[in-house]
Amino acid sequence: MSGHLRNVAVLWVLLTVLGEMVALRAGIYPPAAAEEARVVDSAFRLLLLLAVPVFTFVLAALLYSVARFRIRGEPRGDGPPLHGRGIVPWVWLAVTTALAVYVIFNPGLRGLAELRANPTADLVVRVEGARWLWKISYPQYGVTSRELVLPVGRRVRFDVTATDVLHSFWIPAFRMKIDAVPGMTTRVFITPTATGSFEDNFHFRLQCAELCGLGHNLMRSPVRVVDPAEFEAWVARAKAP
Amino acid sequence: MKRDSVAALMPVFKGLGFGAVGFLLGGGATVGVATLLGRPAWPVEAAIVIGYLVGLAGWLLGVGVWDYWARGWFGLPPRKAEVHGWRRYFHFTTDHKVIGVQYLVTFVVLFLLAGFFAMLMRIELAYPGQTIMTAARFTHLMSMHGIIMIAVAVATIIGGLGNFAVPLLIGAEDMAFPRINALSYWLVPPVALLLVATFFAGGFDTGWTAYPPLSEVNATGQVLFNLAVITFGFSSILGGLNFLVTVARLRAPGMTWGRLPIFVWSVVAASAISLTATQFLAAALLMILLDRTAGMAFFSAARGGAPLLYQHVFWFYSHPAVYIMILPGFGVALEVLTHFSRKPLYAYRWVVAGFLGIVALSFIVWAHHLYTSGMAEYLHGPFMATTELISIPTGLIFLAALGTLWMGKLWLRTPMLFALGFLFNFLIGGITGIFNADVPTDLHLQDTYFVVGHFHYTIMGGMIFALFAGIYYWFPKITGRMYNETLGRLHFWWMFVTYNTTFIPMFWLGIFGMNRRIADYPPELGAVNLFVSASALLLGASFLVFVINMVRSWARGPRAASNPWHARTLEWQVPSPPPEGNFPAPPQVAGHPYDYGVPGAVHAVVAVTGAAQGGPSGEGER
Repeated sequence: MSGHLRNVAVLWVLLTVLGEMVALRAGIYPPAAAEEARVVDSAFRLLLLLAVPVFTFVLAALLYSVARFRIRGEPRGDGPPLHGRGIVPWVWLAVTTALAVYVIFNPGLRGLAELRANPTADLVVRVEGARWLWKISYPQYGVTSRELVLPVGRRVRFDVTATDVLHSFWIPAFRMKIDAVPGMTTRVFITPTATGSFEDNFHFRLQCAELCGLGHNLMRSPVRVVDPAEFEAWVARAKAP
Repeated sequence: MKRDSVAALMPVFKGLGFGAVGFLLGGGATVGVATLLGRPAWPVEAAIVIGYLVGLAGWLLGVGVWDYWARGWFGLPPRKAEVHGWRRYFHFTTDHKVIGVQYLVTFVVLFLLAGFFAMLMRIELAYPGQTIMTAARFTHLMSMHGIIMIAVAVATIIGGLGNFAVPLLIGAEDMAFPRINALSYWLVPPVALLLVATFFAGGFDTGWTAYPPLSEVNATGQVLFNLAVITFGFSSILGGLNFLVTVARLRAPGMTWGRLPIFVWSVVAASAISLTATQFLAAALLMILLDRTAGMAFFSAARGGAPLLYQHVFWFYSHPAVYIMILPGFGVALEVLTHFSRKPLYAYRWVVAGFLGIVALSFIVWAHHLYTSGMAEYLHGPFMATTELISIPTGLIFLAALGTLWMGKLWLRTPMLFALGFLFNFLIGGITGIFNADVPTDLHLQDTYFVVGHFHYTIMGGMIFALFAGIYYWFPKITGRMYNETLGRLHFWWMFVTYNTTFIPMFWLGIFGMNRRIADYPPELGAVNLFVSASALLLGASFLVFVINMVRSWARGPRAASNPWHARTLEWQVPSPPPEGNFPAPPQVAGHPYDYGVPGAVHAVVAVTGAAQGGPSGEGER
């Protein structure tokens, strides 16, 4: 019994080391181009870090049991009657509860607090979803556009709504999403931290993420993050005609 | 023979005839009233709704409610046909074992149909751009795949295996309400008929979630969808009621709550949810119907309604509903793991507590589907907390599974392979659920393929693998014949490998910006999608092995012994298949069902027809 436990523990440690190496190195994140994306990605990374030992624990016990305790042919006799009435379930309960509660606070509530810390914005962008296109306007400048152009490093508040059915405002490079709901204005704050454009990277797109009928998958607008000076120039050009 | 077959199908024909007449009467009356009131337009959708309600009554009366049941209300003797063999399956039969098979076969066929839709979707998604179908056709097929699979997940284990096994497992002769049981089943064919009919009514393009305002402005197929789901919900409520009363009232002498087989506990837990939560789904869909046909405005923002309201009511059912799907899956998997490990179920009482904990928590987590919906932000924290907490009772299932396997004598037959596959898959489903429950990560992952991967890992990798474990496990008891073990193992390994290669890449796709429910995607995601599609087609092919095995074994398989698994529970102590009435006399339950390896332990004493005590039942008492 203790020999088996030791073997499983060794297997668990090995699998965990292997799993963490893969989890920490794997290139599983698209380019992050906003402060919010950094918060989301670090939450994801932490959850992955915690998930690996949980996954490998069950996997180690499962694989070891199948390899070591399998029988050939019809069963002759039974295994030992372990009923699980002792301390083990209590320990299990304590560990899983601790893990669950920890995850609620970190990255859960901590990440939420970071995302909500600053409810002020330099720039307001109004986004209106209608089947099947996004209408983008800059009320501070009186400019409307089919392309979402943002200055890098400036905090932006998006006021999002819809005119017909539900849509959802999603920019993968920023990792932020909020539904566009008829009769409501929903808000999301984003601070772009890197320049880039849809032409170079498809994660720079404003994608509808809530099923809205026939043209749903085509409902996307290009996103371009530029230097503040270039942004001012773009605004001036857009106002000119 | 031919005329004989026609006679056997008579109740179905009668139901269809009465149903058609009812539909025309109800629909005609609606049009007539509207004309009398001077309404200008044809009230097509209202006519369909009223016509359907009258038609549904006609179908039920024709298919057997009148002959078997309603005649009694008027002092007439019921007309019960004496039917045997396969003909029973087309009658309003009240034997729980027949109803279990009706459910199983119907829903396995629906599973294959909706799986075929998934194959078509994956062919379309193999390459970027339009390949074999329009976006409209894709969206309809996707929505059909979703709702049929939801129905399969809700009803196949509990309606099929639950109906067959629960009365046997508790030593009862039938369910508490046999006629309501038959009614629950015969409500299902209209559901299938309505869903198929959406192909002729413009389809519906909202997915299975039917979010308004889209579901209030799209084609008439949406009305048929709503009627179908409301009907199915009614069946589900009746089933839940029936299981709860059955287990509460019909347990054999000595079968205390503490001695219930774990599958029975899982059905009790799931039934508690379906009895009390399904009404919310029906109400939400009814409000959409009223908005569409009666000019009300529950969800129309332009007329003072609130689109967000729907999502709360909908998920108040639909999140608990995932536990209606998975709890019986836990039950089957633990049942099989225990018998095939030759050990007591580890931490039995903890598992029961886990089930009940899941039931309680399942009602207070629904808004985790709404993090990005625009609901008040202060709700995010509390719903994230309750959602993360549900991993605690779920973790107890893994404790029990691993504790049961530990030091056991693992007999790796097909049911056991599927139960082990269930554990692996559900582990991935559970862990990825944390990423969706966490608000910061979910803001990115919501409505992407990460979610698609996650819920397929819980429902298909979990519940469907458990379903196959249960089907192979009880196949000899249900049919009296043995399935082919080689084909069974081939099915498992084929399905297990291709299942994982299909769904693992979806997590990556979701993180890399592929949103769900789309007929086309950025070309940058083409290579991974092609891989997923190829895997999916191979996965689809694995079910051919299953179908061949089931059909051949049922027709010509070797006769099964009464207890081929040397299991201790009651269903294995009676012949295969069990006779009508199940037990010649109520079994006397004396101990726990899982006391493998406990010297002198006895679960129950079962009298055997034509023999003194002992015989096949001796197996279970060793």
